[in-house]
Amino acid sequence: MRILTAVLRTIRNSRRLAAGLIILGVMVLLALFSPVIVNAIGGGKDPIEVAAYEKWLVPGPGHLLGTDQFGRDVFAMVMKALSVSLQIGAIAGIISTVAGVIVAFVAGYKGGWIDGILSTFTGILLVIPTFPLLIALSAYAKNVSLFQVGVMISIFSWPFAAKTIRSQVLSLRTRPYVDLARVSKARDLEIIVTELLPNLLPFIGVGFASSALGAIFGLVGLEVIGLGPGGVVDLGQIIYNAITTGALTLGAWPMFVVPIVLLTLLFAALNMVNIGLEEVYNPRLRGVAGE
Amino acid sequence: MTAEAPPVVAVDKSQDSAPPSGVRAWLSRHPLAAYAIRRVGLYFVELWGALTIAFFFFRLIPGDPVQTLIQTLQQNYMYNQQASTELIARYQQEFGLTGNMFSQYLKYMEKLVLHGDLGPSLINYPTPAQDVILRSLPWTIGLLGISAVLAWVLGVLLGAIAGWRRGKLGSAIATNLSIALSHVPYFFVALILVYIFAYSMGVLPARSAYDSNISPGISLEFIGSVLKYGLLPGLSIVIIGTFSWILSTRMLMVPVLGEDYLVYAEAKGLKGWRILTRYALRNCYLPQITAFGISLGFIFNGNVLVEQLFNYPGLGTTLVTAIQQLDFNTILGVTDIAIFSVLTAVLLLDLLLPLLDPRVKYWK
Repeated sequence: MRILTAVLRTIRNSRRLAAGLIILGVMVLLALFSPVIVNAIGGGKDPIEVAAYEKWLVPGPGHLLGTDQFGRDVFAMVMKALSVSLQIGAIAGIISTVAGVIVAFVAGYKGGWIDGILSTFTGILLVIPTFPLLIALSAYAKNVSLFQVGVMISIFSWPFAAKTIRSQVLSLRTRPYVDLARVSKARDLEIIVTELLPNLLPFIGVGFASSALGAIFGLVGLEVIGLGPGGVVDLGQIIYNAITTGALTLGAWPMFVVPIVLLTLLFAALNMVNIGLEEVYNPRLRGVAGE
Repeated sequence: MTAEAPPVVAVDKSQDSAPPSGVRAWLSRHPLAAYAIRRVGLYFVELWGALTIAFFFFRLIPGDPVQTLIQTLQQNYMYNQQASTELIARYQQEFGLTGNMFSQYLKYMEKLVLHGDLGPSLINYPTPAQDVILRSLPWTIGLLGISAVLAWVLGVLLGAIAGWRRGKLGSAIATNLSIALSHVPYFFVALILVYIFAYSMGVLPARSAYDSNISPGISLEFIGSVLKYGLLPGLSIVIIGTFSWILSTRMLMVPVLGEDYLVYAEAKGLKGWRILTRYALRNCYLPQITAFGISLGFIFNGNVLVEQLFNYPGLGTTLVTAIQQLDFNTILGVTDIAIFSVLTAVLLLDLLLPLLDPRVKYWK
């Protein structure tokens, strides 16, 4: 209960954080209810089945966003793809955050040569262009499950989380209260769990948001050039279909515009959460990021 | 690092107790040189690490390039005979696929480091991969380099102004717009620009890098064509890049504005613009130079997609073509070149920084 009120207070204090969370929340709700929405659109039959309706219907009351080259309802497709994109983000975000937290703690708290090796490795992965590696990996991944795609992408998104959290661990471990815990003979694990983790939560949040953002970003990028892993239909896939079939010239603009708007909103929301959290927990930045 | 390691350790130790003798003393008297040596050492470690990661990454992915090559040859020359074992062995030799993975790695690194040889390419067999890459490299450097620098300059300037005029409406709009758009992929903007300027208005070309009717060469016509064709892909990188630099510059700018020396400058009666450019901005653009180096890899990633969408004949398009045809040597080569360029750029920027910023002390 105390934690809940603390969270609520935090959100009330930052309009930016609140706005980001509201947009994210609406999207998650849409994704959660996407099976229901898809059913409602289909009215008994599957609206994303090939040849469910006529091809290239223009947006109208029957089909809010029209239909695509196979006669599938675009609105239903977008709903389903949104849920896929969000799931990919969540899976990759969680894996990256866990990996990032572990690496950050080992490196930041232990220090020494382990820190040297791990942070050099993280640094290399952050600086080098990893997209070629991701494209290559994806080109060989045919018919993979959604979870596998998430794992694949998190290979490249965990350094974002690790970097954010490590720098925070470094600044926290020299605080007096950590020294106090150490003097009173608390074990390393105890200090990490009871003293450091609670203070790191917002930064773990930032790490999660930025890895999720990186993962969705990466997958959409792969899909848009037609090199995405097979078997997963996310928002990028719909954009790719719109480009390759020339949907724009056929008047099927929603197929192109709606996924882009949704993804832009999603990226903006995640970024707002990031900046909002940093502002709240780093008072020196408050008001710095702007009104 | 291995070669440079001993003097680095020595520098740390000889900080306060330094009996003046040999390399250690010299290094402690020349902190900048010590910094440079350590930084260059780190560069080689990073370069070696990244190239090694890339090599094993691609080798561990299943797929047989020799089989693909033979298939391609069969398709192209109606060569229907089954490939003999000698032929396969010959090609495996040529592609460096003999022996176990570790000896392949040693051979690859030896050829790469000593001869700058990346092995034969498949998309353009038997042209060596480095020649295929060198042909596309200038286009990427031109497009990416100019757009990235332009975005940085614009972003830092606008961000400084947004920080300077904080609280004003224009600044608030710019900041919120930046927060919303700074993490949008380049290719979204590219798609929208193509839609507006190429399809709807038909004023700018959406594919290729120059008019195919004009022969490449140093003529006014050709340069004009290159600029015209580069406008849309370049613009899509510049727009998003500018927004993200505005945001980070503004974050650096605002704390600086509270500093005493700015109050003093104002008390001296200096004009606002002069205070901004001569006093405040100087403290913001230095960290942004480091940030620029770090962001290059990220910009390259986005650039791959932009090039692919515009069919621009740069590294990104070469990479995607190579991946579609399982051309290992070229894929790995493009990755290596990208890694090398980014790490070298970061190194140069880091070495340049102490010259630009006399306050930075590097011998710690």
